Amino acid sequence: MFSYLVKRIIGMIPTLVLVCVVVFLFVHMLPGDPARLAAGPEADAETVQNIRKELGLDLPLPQQFGHYLLNLSQGDLGTSLRTKRPVLAEIGARFMPTLILTLTSMVWSVIFGLVIGVVSAVWRNRWPDRLFMTLAVSGISFPPFALGMILIQIFAVNLGWLPSVGATSWQHYILPSITLGAAVAAIMARFTRASFVEVIQEDFVRTARAKGLSEKVVIVKHTLRNALIPVVTMMGLQFGFLLGGSIVVETVFGWPGMGTLLVDAVTARDYPVIQGLVLLFSFEFILINMIVDVLYGIINPTIRYR
Amino acid sequence: MKSFHLRKTMLVPVLMAGLAFGQTALAAKDVTVAVPYGFDSLDPYNTNSTQSQAVGKGWYEGLFGFDMDFKIHPLLATGYEVSEDGLTYTFKLREGVKFHDGTDFNADAVKVNFERILDRSNALGRYNQFKNIDKIEVVDPATVKITLKAPFSAFINNLAHPSAMMISPAALKKYGKQINLHPTGTGQYTFVEWNPGQNVKMKKFDGYWDKDHIAKVDTINFRVVTDNNTRAAVMQTGEAQFTYPIPYEQAAILKKNDKIDVIAKPSIIARNIAMNNLVKPFDNPKVRQAMNYAINKEALNKVVFNGFARVAEGMVPEKVEFSQKMKPWPYDPKKARELLAEAGYPQGFETTLWSAYNDGTSVKAIQFIQQQLRQVGVKVSVEALEAGQRVQRVEAVQNPKDAKVRMYYIGWSASTGEANWALSPLLAGDAWPPTFGNFAYYKNDQVDKDLADALKTTDKTEKGRLYKDAQETIYKDAPWIFLNTADTVAARSKKLDGFEVMPDASYYFKDVSLKD
Repeated sequence: MFSYLVKRIIGMIPTLVLVCVVVFLFVHMLPGDPARLAAGPEADAETVQNIRKELGLDLPLPQQFGHYLLNLSQGDLGTSLRTKRPVLAEIGARFMPTLILTLTSMVWSVIFGLVIGVVSAVWRNRWPDRLFMTLAVSGISFPPFALGMILIQIFAVNLGWLPSVGATSWQHYILPSITLGAAVAAIMARFTRASFVEVIQEDFVRTARAKGLSEKVVIVKHTLRNALIPVVTMMGLQFGFLLGGSIVVETVFGWPGMGTLLVDAVTARDYPVIQGLVLLFSFEFILINMIVDVLYGIINPTIRYR
Repeated sequence: MKSFHLRKTMLVPVLMAGLAFGQTALAAKDVTVAVPYGFDSLDPYNTNSTQSQAVGKGWYEGLFGFDMDFKIHPLLATGYEVSEDGLTYTFKLREGVKFHDGTDFNADAVKVNFERILDRSNALGRYNQFKNIDKIEVVDPATVKITLKAPFSAFINNLAHPSAMMISPAALKKYGKQINLHPTGTGQYTFVEWNPGQNVKMKKFDGYWDKDHIAKVDTINFRVVTDNNTRAAVMQTGEAQFTYPIPYEQAAILKKNDKIDVIAKPSIIARNIAMNNLVKPFDNPKVRQAMNYAINKEALNKVVFNGFARVAEGMVPEKVEFSQKMKPWPYDPKKARELLAEAGYPQGFETTLWSAYNDGTSVKAIQFIQQQLRQVGVKVSVEALEAGQRVQRVEAVQNPKDAKVRMYYIGWSASTGEANWALSPLLAGDAWPPTFGNFAYYKNDQVDKDLADALKTTDKTEKGRLYKDAQETIYKDAPWIFLNTADTVAARSKKLDGFEVMPDASYYFKDVSLKD
C-alpha cells in the first residue's frame, strides 16, 4: 500500500510538468495583450510599452518560459499582473471558501444521493422510485443560476431567514451549498440506483437471503457495499469538478472563491494566475483520483495494490 | 461499515468552519455598498477602474476634487495662480493637514507624489494624465510651483481627477510598490482591509482636517456582488444600503419597494458607433450621414435602455465643461436611402459591427442597430468582443491599413470633466490606435488645430469658441453614429443619505449619513 502511494505520487510529477508546458503555451496563445488590458483605454502606447516591460512580457517566449519554470521549481508561482499580489496569496485567499463550500455541498448531496438511490432501488418501479427519480432528473436539468436566484428570492428576500451574499457565517453556506449540491445529489442518486439495481440481482444476494439474513443486513451490508464502487468514482469526479469553484454559483452568491478568480484572471489575461489555477486544478484532480483508488480498497478488500 | 468513515472525515472540517465563521453582531453605523466588480488596485495612479478610484476617495484626497455635479472645488490646495503664458501654476496648500500615519502634508509631499508618477521606471498606468508636467518646485512648505512642458489649460481638471491623489510620502517610502495594499492618505476614512474578490472596508478617521466634515458613519464596506440580480436582491434584504448599477429591468421592481429609492441621473457616458473613415464605404461622408439618419435613437433608448438614456445632442455630454449642445441627428430612413444612393450604394452594402463589450445591454444594442440598418439596405453582421479580442482586433492594431474594424460600438466617459478629454483621445488625428482610441481613424486638420490651440489658451471664452468649432466640424463630418448618453441608475436605502453616483459613474460620499 505504502509503496503504491509513493509510486503514484512520483507518477504525478511528469503529468504536472506536462500540464505546465501546455498551460503556458495555451495562455500565451490567447488573443489579447495583458499589458494593454492592464493599462486600460486611457493609456497611450508608450505607457503600455513600459507596463509590458515591467511585467516581463517583452522578453522572448522561451526565455519567459525558462523564468517561469525556474521560479516554479522554487515554489514561486509569480505575481498577478492585475493586482500585483503574489499568485500564491491570490489563490490562497480564495481556496478556503471554495473548499468549504465544496465540502458542505458534497456532504449533503452524498447523503441525500445515497439514501434516495437506495430507496429508489429497493422500491424500484414503485411510487417512491418514480417520485425520487422525477426529482433527480429535475435536479440535473434545473440550471444552477436559476435555482440560486429562486432560493435567494424565497429565503433571503421574501422570508428573510437566510443571508444571500458573502461567506462570513454558517448560515451563508446554506443557500449556495444547496444550489451547488442539487445537481450532484441528483447524479449520485441516479448512479446509486443503477448500481444498486444491478448488484441486488446478483447470485450472492440471493444466497444471503437464502441463508436467512434479515433484509436490512442484505441491503446495507452486502448490496450497498458492492454497489458503492461506481458511486465513489463518480463522487471523486464531481468533487474535483466542484473544487474548481462553480463560476455560476459563485457569481450569483457573491462568493469569494476560485471560480470568480479564474474568470477575472482570464478577462485580464492575467497569465500567472491562470497558470497557477490550472496547475492547482490538475493537481487536485490527480490527488482525488488517488484517494478514490485507495477508497476502492477500503470498500472492497479483494482489490489489491501493487 | 467502513464506508461511514467517509462521512465522519468530511464532517469535521465543516464543523470547524461553522465555528470559525461565527456570526458577528452589527454595530450601529455601518454602511454596506454592493459594487459590481472586484477591485484591481488601490493605487490611484495605477488603475483605470472608475470603481477603484471612487472608493479611494474615502482615504485619499487630491489638491482639487469634483463635487456631485462635477464642479471643481479645492481640497488640499486652497487656491492657485497661473502665469500669463499658461506654463507655471503656483498652488497654495492647506496647512495643518496630517496623513493617517501622522506625516505632515506639505509641498514636499506634493513633489514626491507627482515625481513618482512621472518616473517612467515605476511604469504606472496613469502617466499619460501627468506627462505634461516638466518640473515641481517647493517654494515653501505651503507653496508649490509646477511648470508644464507646454501650456495645457485642462491641467486643474487633471488634478481634480480621483487618480491625482496625495499619498503619504512616509508610507510610499515604507511600502514601495506595495502601497497598493496599504492606502495612506488624508481623507475622512482610514483603510481597514481588502479581501480580493470580496470587499474593501474603511473606517472613520477622527483626525480629519475638516472638522465640519468628520465622517458621520463608523465604517463603509464595499462588497463585491457581481451578479446584477443578486445586487438587486441584497438591496431588498437590507444587506446593502446602496448599489450601482442596477439592471434596467430591475428598476421597476425595486421602485415598488417602500424602503428603497431608485435614482436615475444623467451621466457623461456617451455611446456611439465609430465608422472606419479610411475604408469604403465609410470614406464617403454621405454614407456616414446616411447611417446617422438610419437609426431611431429614441426607439433604441426605449427598447434597449428601458428609457434610461437620452438621445445624443452633440458628441460631448452636457455635464462636461465646454460641451456644445447640438440638434440630434433626426431619424429619417428615406433620407438615409437617398444619401446611400447618391453615394453609389442604392442597394446598400454589407459590413460588420463589433461591440467593445459583451454584456447583455450591449448585445441587445448592436442587435437593435443591426435591424435598423437592415431597413435601409445595410446588412451588418454583429459580434460582441471579449476584452482580449477587443485589444487584439481593435486597440493594438499597429498599422491603420490592417485594421479590420468597420463599425465599432463603444462608450466613453471624459473623467476629467473637460472637453479635451472627450475629444482628443477619440478624434484627434494623432490618436489613432495603437496610440489612443480614435477607432474611426478620423483626421480633420481644422479639428486638430482647434484642439491644440484650446490647450494653449488660458482665456476661457477663446477656449469655448475653439471647442465649439471643433465639435461642430466633427458633427458635420459624422465620423461616428452619435447614439445616446445613458443615465446612471442606482438604488439607495431610504435610511441612507448623501451617497451619490456622479456623472462619470464615480461615487460621491463625503456627506454620507445613516438613519437608525
